[in-house]
Amino acid sequence: MSDKAAPVDELNRNVPPYRHNPSGWGQRIPICLLAFIAAVISVHLSLYQWGFIENAYDPLFDDGSNRVLKSDTALRMYGILGIHDAALGVLAYLGDAILGLAGSTRRWQYRPWLVLLFGIDVIPLGMVSLVLVVFQAFVVGSWCFLCLVTAAISLILIYWAWDEVRVSLAYLLIVWKEHHNTRLLWDAFCGLRDDRLDAAGEKLLSREAP
Amino acid sequence: MWGRVVEIMTAVWLSISPFVFGVQSDPVQLWGDLGVALAICVFSGLSYWGPTRHAHWLVLLLAAGLVVWGRFAVTPPPPPHQNHIVVGLFLLMMAVIPNEASQPPRAWRQLPT
Repeated sequence: MSDKAAPVDELNRNVPPYRHNPSGWGQRIPICLLAFIAAVISVHLSLYQWGFIENAYDPLFDDGSNRVLKSDTALRMYGILGIHDAALGVLAYLGDAILGLAGSTRRWQYRPWLVLLFGIDVIPLGMVSLVLVVFQAFVVGSWCFLCLVTAAISLILIYWAWDEVRVSLAYLLIVWKEHHNTRLLWDAFCGLRDDRLDAAGEKLLSREAP
Repeated sequence: MWGRVVEIMTAVWLSISPFVFGVQSDPVQLWGDLGVALAICVFSGLSYWGPTRHAHWLVLLLAAGLVVWGRFAVTPPPPPHQNHIVVGLFLLMMAVIPNEASQPPRAWRQLPT
């Protein structure tokens, strides 16, 4: 390695099959902003569940939101979790925003663990939140407007976050296919540096974009 | 180092929370919260010094402890303990944020030969 610092352009290269850098700020900032908006909405729902406000905002389903948020299912989840499910939603969306902000514009290679943690927070947890919202209609028999809004946001976040998770997994897959070395794969996952990992990153970057 | 700054701000909240929730007369709550808050500040502060830059990972242990304390000390958890659960879960996320979060890791800051 030379002692010359990597230039910004080197960090911000497009990653095939995409014609953009999935770890670029232009990709990540909108995710963080949208996740933050969902967190604020969830704060509103939590305030209702905690009893700080009398009604949850709902322009479509009248008392539907209140019924969902104070339903037996919600209370059962409160009994299991120890906090209201909306408060857990606040933390999950804040997690999306926080994990989305951390890392450089080449974190798909330099910190795959962070990208995968971000992916786990956005994708499986987002899907769980979607299922729970759909569940409301069948179990509680009511709809909650803001819950539907946050579920829609979860869907968008999943769509937006997928490209970065995909390239991180593709990088790890190249490392594994070329070396079949568990230790090296672990080093790649942890973001340690090795000439073989440099080469694996370059191989991914040199693929032809469609 | 914004991760460490947020951890220290959260520790400040934790240290005043017994007074906010009106449980300052309970020594376990008061000294428990103050002790954990102080430990968070120490670990986050040590992360600013090169030789102990990984100290923020120890905040993970404190955060997990806060969640367990909040969830199981009293069932169902009253507001002060719900605060422990929320703060603990939040710190679990913050503690994994690298120190120079927007920079590549040190090893990757040099060009390959």
